[in-house]
Amino acid sequence: MFRRSTLKVVAASAPLLFTLLVAPVHGATQVTLKVSSFGNVFEPKIVDAYRKLHPNIKIVINKMDLDGEHQQLLRSLNSNAVPDIAAVELSYMGQFRQPMIASRFTDLNTLGARAISKDYLPFRYTQGTALNGSQIGIPTDVGGLAVAYRVDLFKQAGLPTDRTKVAKLWRTWADFIKVGKSYNSKMPRSKFIDSTGTLFAAVLNQGTSKYYDPRSHQLIYSNNTHVHQAFNVAAQAGCVTKAAGKCNSSIGTKINQFTADWGAGMQHGAFATILAPAWMLDYIKQQAPSTKGKWDVAAVPGGGGNMGGSMLTIPKNSGNQAASWAFIKWYLAPAQQLTTFKQYGLFPTTYNLYSNPAIKNYKDPFFSNAPLGKIYSSSALALKPIYSGAKDRIIDSTFGQALSRVTQGTQTQSCGGHPSQTVDAAWCQALNDIRRNVG
Amino acid sequence: MTTLEVRPEVVEPKAAATRSRKRRPSAIARQDRIGFLYVAPFFVHFVLFGALPIVFTTGLAFFNVDWSTYYDFLDRHNFQALKDAWVGMRNFDELWSDPYFWLALKNTFSIWAISTIPQLIMAFGLAMLLANPKLRGSSFWRTLLMVPNITSVLAVAIVFQQIFGRDFGLINVGLHYVNVGPIEWINERLPSHVAIATMINWRWLGYNSLILLSAILAIPRELYESAAIDGASRVKTVWYVTIPQLRNTITFMLIMGTIGGLGLFVEPLTYGGGLDGGANSQFLTLTLYLFKELNQNERLGYAAAIGVGITIVVIIISALNFLITRRIASEDSR
Repeated sequence: MFRRSTLKVVAASAPLLFTLLVAPVHGATQVTLKVSSFGNVFEPKIVDAYRKLHPNIKIVINKMDLDGEHQQLLRSLNSNAVPDIAAVELSYMGQFRQPMIASRFTDLNTLGARAISKDYLPFRYTQGTALNGSQIGIPTDVGGLAVAYRVDLFKQAGLPTDRTKVAKLWRTWADFIKVGKSYNSKMPRSKFIDSTGTLFAAVLNQGTSKYYDPRSHQLIYSNNTHVHQAFNVAAQAGCVTKAAGKCNSSIGTKINQFTADWGAGMQHGAFATILAPAWMLDYIKQQAPSTKGKWDVAAVPGGGGNMGGSMLTIPKNSGNQAASWAFIKWYLAPAQQLTTFKQYGLFPTTYNLYSNPAIKNYKDPFFSNAPLGKIYSSSALALKPIYSGAKDRIIDSTFGQALSRVTQGTQTQSCGGHPSQTVDAAWCQALNDIRRNVG
Repeated sequence: MTTLEVRPEVVEPKAAATRSRKRRPSAIARQDRIGFLYVAPFFVHFVLFGALPIVFTTGLAFFNVDWSTYYDFLDRHNFQALKDAWVGMRNFDELWSDPYFWLALKNTFSIWAISTIPQLIMAFGLAMLLANPKLRGSSFWRTLLMVPNITSVLAVAIVFQQIFGRDFGLINVGLHYVNVGPIEWINERLPSHVAIATMINWRWLGYNSLILLSAILAIPRELYESAAIDGASRVKTVWYVTIPQLRNTITFMLIMGTIGGLGLFVEPLTYGGGLDGGANSQFLTLTLYLFKELNQNERLGYAAAIGVGITIVVIIISALNFLITRRIASEDSR
């Protein structure tokens, strides 16, 4: 009885099922690409252009916060609920390159990545090569590093405003902190930089090694003097004078980047500088459109540097391998990278473009017509990649936390014989926390 | 096939019953079996998503595994790796001496206290206002009270981040004009707890007011009338008639508040300190700590141990709740 009625239902709905299943095949097959992303990796206008070229491809972008996206991706890799395309940030790349995790991604060489590999900055391309030799990602953009500064505020503080003179002011990080102090003394309602914690990554990336030994892949964060130096530079910037044991003055604000206060502060001139990889310029334009023309961009202390950049990957369990690869190949081809750069300022990884006049002569009125093309391409070409290991992101954020405690004056714990509210206690607690979290 | 076997009984239960009086008991037994089928979905659901995860988590607490090892085990059934990962009681030893666990416990209770007690008092006040028969448009106000409860938590978080921002937040900008502050709503412990508790209060105040309101409306008129005859003042009527009558409701609210308080997660997560609950872990709560160990530090076993720890805390509090409720009940029967 039960079966017969089921049959009847099936028979009755057969024409409907037929329409549902077969009809789309009459046109091109409809494909939905699920894309997992964070920040500004996928620029809407460029994605729209692809939709117009391929009306049968539907692209659904799920944008999360940086850590949330990567952690969710890691959890889903073993299941069928994986995205078809996933953006992976460089700070997580060390983890994703480990064979156990890399084996859950498609080796893009099997889809034809080798043919386009020559287009990309070599060091940026190899950041997408896993330790087991498979190519799991294609690079989206290159960070480079410069300092974006407010010309009007510099003028008020009696500092030079010309970008070459400004760069000469801060040849070293010590100079940078000195300039910060003098800015703060003249500008009571504004601080020199948005977040002193950002100095840590900037200084760190100017070295040759970070938390892992590049050869043995062993953890060396606690005895790599360069890490400690970078920490101290950032801590000194975050705690320039002390009163009653508390840091009562920093060259930076207490605002955390990417919060509501940060955007508001940018708009109201709460800080005069931001360490700016190329992708940061887009954030500034979006968060503070009213400051158009008040910014300029100068070279970073210590010469060159790198911050961020992403890779596009295809999880192995995705059912749309070919369509995903077609999209990635198109999206990261020189032509589209050029459009992305012009519209959003993300700096291309396809380095043949650097000699293209569109980039070589690129200036942006938002940033007082600074030669952005020249600044970031020379910075990108001078980059030396640093080996990044499996737990880089956790170590990064634990040190970042410690530096926040210094700036905020909330290092309430004493540690290893160093009294509370000292930089050394923050460093010591950070090492303890990392030992717990990473091993 | 089982469906086919029982189906005739569903279709013709009367026929089965009338067919023979002797067969009745077994017919009832069969009907009982059908009854079990009706309640089965709950038990299947409970076993799959309630009981098994508890057993699994408790077992996991004795291992030290990260996600890669876990996947490797699923993929290649690598039992040796699982054997190597056995650490016995070590996770619990670590938990016992883990300052972050105790800190998270303290934070959780602090936020719970700041959110529950003022909320109870405010909800009572609101409920008394709404219970006033002279109030016009009472159903409008009652509906309005539920709006915060159905608003997306993330949207609430974004708005509250702007209210409690240090430099450009609504409150600090206001305080600036009277030369106070800035208050460190995110960076310091107590202010951050107050801010998070405010988010919770905003969300649950209306809900609790409505529960109290329905309890107030259910109090028999005669009690008030006899109090009036005895010449009790308004305040005394509230104190000696209304509040004692609300005991059970208040106990219920406290229990629900405790459950919600111990599971406090989304508010601190979205408040701007990430998984750390702020640079000094100033608003790290128990569940946030569990989530951090699981997702950021990839210590599945330790996260499970934290879960067991939370369960023990819940058991202790439930026992306390039970004792208090029993005392109230015995007072009632006196």
